Amino acid sequence: MSETHQDSSGGGDFDLTQFYQIFFEEAGENLDLMEQMLLNLNLETADDEVLNGIFRCAHSVKGGAATFGFADVAELTHQMESLLDRLRRHELHPNSAMVDVLLESADASRSLLARHQAGGEGEVLPTGDLVRRISELAAGNTPVAAPAPVAVKPPPAVASPPKAASEAKSKSTRTLEIRIGPLERLEQADAVQELFRDIPGLGSISTLPLDVKNTRLFLVETGSTDEDLLDLFAFHVSRDYIQIKSVESTSEVVDSEPVAVGSVDDPLPGAPLAPLPGFGFFDGAPGAPATTTTALVAKTAAAKPAGSNSAAQPEAATIRVAISKVDQLINLVGELVITQAMLAQNSRALDPAVYQQLLSGLADLDRNTRDLQESVMSIRMIPMSIVFSRFPRMLRDLATKLGKKVDFVTQGEATELDKGLVEKITDPLTHLVRNSCDHGVESPAERLAAGKPETGTITLSASHQGGSIVIEVRDDGKGMSRQRILSKAKERGLDVSDQMSDAEVWQLIFAPGFSTAEVVTDVSGRGVGMDVVKKNIAALNGTVEIDSAEGYGMKVSVRLPLTLAIMDGMSVGVGGEVYILPLSSVVESFQVKADAVSTVGQGSQLVKVRDEYMPVIELEKIFQIPRFDFEKSCDIMVVVEADGSRVALLVDELLGQQQVVVKNLESNYRKVPNVSGATILGDGKVALILDTGALVRRSRH
Amino acid sequence: MGVMEKLEESTSSEAREYLTFRLDQEEYGIDILKVQEIRGYEPPTRVANAPNFIKGVVNLRGTIVPIVDMRLKFSCSKAEYNSFTVVIILNLRHRIVGIVVDSVSDVMELPPESLKSAPDIDSVIDSAAVLGLGSLGDRMLILLDIELLMSAPDMGLVGASD
Amino acid sequence: MPLILAVDDSPSMRKMVSFTLTGAGYQVVEAVDGQDAYEKAQSQSFDLVLTDQNMPRLDGLGLTRKLRDHPQFKTTPILMLTTESSDLMKQAGRAAGATGWLVKPFDPARLLDVIKKVIR
Repeated sequence: MSETHQDSSGGGDFDLTQFYQIFFEEAGENLDLMEQMLLNLNLETADDEVLNGIFRCAHSVKGGAATFGFADVAELTHQMESLLDRLRRHELHPNSAMVDVLLESADASRSLLARHQAGGEGEVLPTGDLVRRISELAAGNTPVAAPAPVAVKPPPAVASPPKAASEAKSKSTRTLEIRIGPLERLEQADAVQELFRDIPGLGSISTLPLDVKNTRLFLVETGSTDEDLLDLFAFHVSRDYIQIKSVESTSEVVDSEPVAVGSVDDPLPGAPLAPLPGFGFFDGAPGAPATTTTALVAKTAAAKPAGSNSAAQPEAATIRVAISKVDQLINLVGELVITQAMLAQNSRALDPAVYQQLLSGLADLDRNTRDLQESVMSIRMIPMSIVFSRFPRMLRDLATKLGKKVDFVTQGEATELDKGLVEKITDPLTHLVRNSCDHGVESPAERLAAGKPETGTITLSASHQGGSIVIEVRDDGKGMSRQRILSKAKERGLDVSDQMSDAEVWQLIFAPGFSTAEVVTDVSGRGVGMDVVKKNIAALNGTVEIDSAEGYGMKVSVRLPLTLAIMDGMSVGVGGEVYILPLSSVVESFQVKADAVSTVGQGSQLVKVRDEYMPVIELEKIFQIPRFDFEKSCDIMVVVEADGSRVALLVDELLGQQQVVVKNLESNYRKVPNVSGATILGDGKVALILDTGALVRRSRH
Repeated sequence: MGVMEKLEESTSSEAREYLTFRLDQEEYGIDILKVQEIRGYEPPTRVANAPNFIKGVVNLRGTIVPIVDMRLKFSCSKAEYNSFTVVIILNLRHRIVGIVVDSVSDVMELPPESLKSAPDIDSVIDSAAVLGLGSLGDRMLILLDIELLMSAPDMGLVGASD
Repeated sequence: MPLILAVDDSPSMRKMVSFTLTGAGYQVVEAVDGQDAYEKAQSQSFDLVLTDQNMPRLDGLGLTRKLRDHPQFKTTPILMLTTESSDLMKQAGRAAGATGWLVKPFDPARLLDVIKKVIR
């Protein structure tokens, strides 16, 4: 299947392809996490935990890629890992060129993996330039991204003083100059450097400039004796080629007399053969196969526990579940809620004295069902951070392209929303954020001229309010011009007046085809307008509100119902029919007195509630409910709030509150105005769920 | 598209089975594969601002299904709702919908040879949805393309945005 | 039947190792990092520990040290799975008390060979 799959020597029984899919998913997650951490990286005060975390992501992808035979990915991630390793050891200081090349490499890795996942078809992505840039940065240079292949000069070794943070200096730390060479393979010298990297407490090492071919010069600080060092280095380089000079005392060269060095992993009788590179045993180590132990043991300095490289957040145990299984579970729980409601309803008439146990059991069932339902719904809830995660990168690229400076702030990442919503909200949000960047935030020059800081801020926040989730996109840009929008609207023949409130004027930009410079219709070439944004959000039963102050900025608030499937409802009766209101939008209800209602032009009615006048909506009229019993009439008002306004609904009676399972009306029928869905009551009959937002908007015009 | 082509398109060389039902004086046949079940009539929940022949929606084991009274849509005689009233639940490509008819007869197997075109048929149903005529003995069936019929705009099931 | 503790933060690696070992008749317990592994070691006795090096919370070396401090695991074979083939890791591994090492990428056949040599 994979054309780069390694041949397992003699292990023909093992089919690794079954693990590919897990690896692809895992690698994807690691690359995503790496990208996020890179974007969050504070270049001034690079957080150790973050650097370690990024390193581990690259390391993990490399390991898996190598194991499963994806050599191109392994090679690229190996390079990334080397650079990241130097960064986490504070041998290099992070800068934006490094972040850029690592981000590009993460992208390239993704492409390479995608190609493997698709069976290896398509063009191979050349990674030579990336690799070159990474190694130049790793060596401490500023690379030039050359379009044409340029002969790469070996980068001059720049002495980067190691940060003292990670090394514990003992009292007897010595400073040495160690010269290694001439060597056939310079990797041997690199390997010596690596020793200092991974043996805690050994000391620190940095390269010094040296003009001799095939030779390296290092500056070393260590508490170990020269002998110990030579023993250690002997794994890689014979003593003959090592010269150690103490810097404090002048020109004291350690005699490089050849000493028979017993390698730690010398093959001894009885021990497994070490020659096969790839595994070995420590003689005398606990659990090792029985051997005679005569090997020298190189002294290692007191080690700091390596476990200090702990991640910022502990990993929670998780399992992967197919979405269809979760959906099925939610459906079943929904059915359970209906059945339980039916039982509750049918048992209302029972004599509590006689049926005490049954009723008490049903009460328990009610509680259990609620708990179960909450738990199950929460399975599908995922944090907003998932939605937010794509924006830092997108904004960074967009701001750069537009020549603007933008800070991206997120709030409420932990706010959860239903997975089904996440996919559908991402596009509209993306459009709003792009809009803020393109048309909201001004260029640095304009901002300075306006007395604002050069860097604009775009804030994306999420919070729960009542039964909804509210997502806001705010910017401190130039805001919208009321005048401009009004005149554009007039031009287009829209019905507007200068008396319209600000809120109403802002809503004009959602009109189909409306476009001023305020509103971007197309930043990426896709021609998405604000009207589509509004439509998408309305399709989720959500609403969009805009607030803007010219010169100061703009705020777009998207309000969505928290869950698609189950909600608390209040049932009301009108003319013998039952309708359901979302409990979260019900403010209050009261019996109406005739003198509180006044009629204004065109037959609309207003009702006075304390000090507020609000429009009255006669459900009987809107739904053309046939009334047979002329004596009964509507005398109860239910105040609902939606889309920022309140209206009073006129009903006959309040029937109760219950949890209802929201069923889709459109799948077999069609969208019905003012109705957001349907539900099945305890008696098995269907009741329509009212769209309070639509009702409120209806009263506005 | 001519009726004969329609007939050829829709029928294979094997005989097909048709559920037959009665609307007023006419007998109709529809592809049995589109029929999910046959139920009695229960008063649906009314949906506002719908045409009069859409009676409303009912709960079919957890799914919300609209009910269309074909008698109101197509026939002249009054529609009664009693214990004999029959609803055919159709499982179509894009929706599940129930239709109220006068009565349901039986399932008939019609070999292709017995099918005839019906260019001059005088039927209340739009000829575009008429596949042809089937005859068995002295019975004459008007064969319908029920998918086409139910998705016609005037049936009110397809929304403006669909 | 010998019980092996396989420690790696990469699910695909864990699955591969686990699959290989169980196919050869061993019993396997998986752990997602050193901390998880150490916790599991409190309640079970393992005949062999296979551990990755780079993991969050507690890495391979740390786990090895902690296990060696634990009376039950003083002599249990501990093999480190490492992507480095240079001696840096070997050195540190020995110091921590590991029994041996195996370099990644390895093929499953080799894994089984090495295990056979140390498992009792």
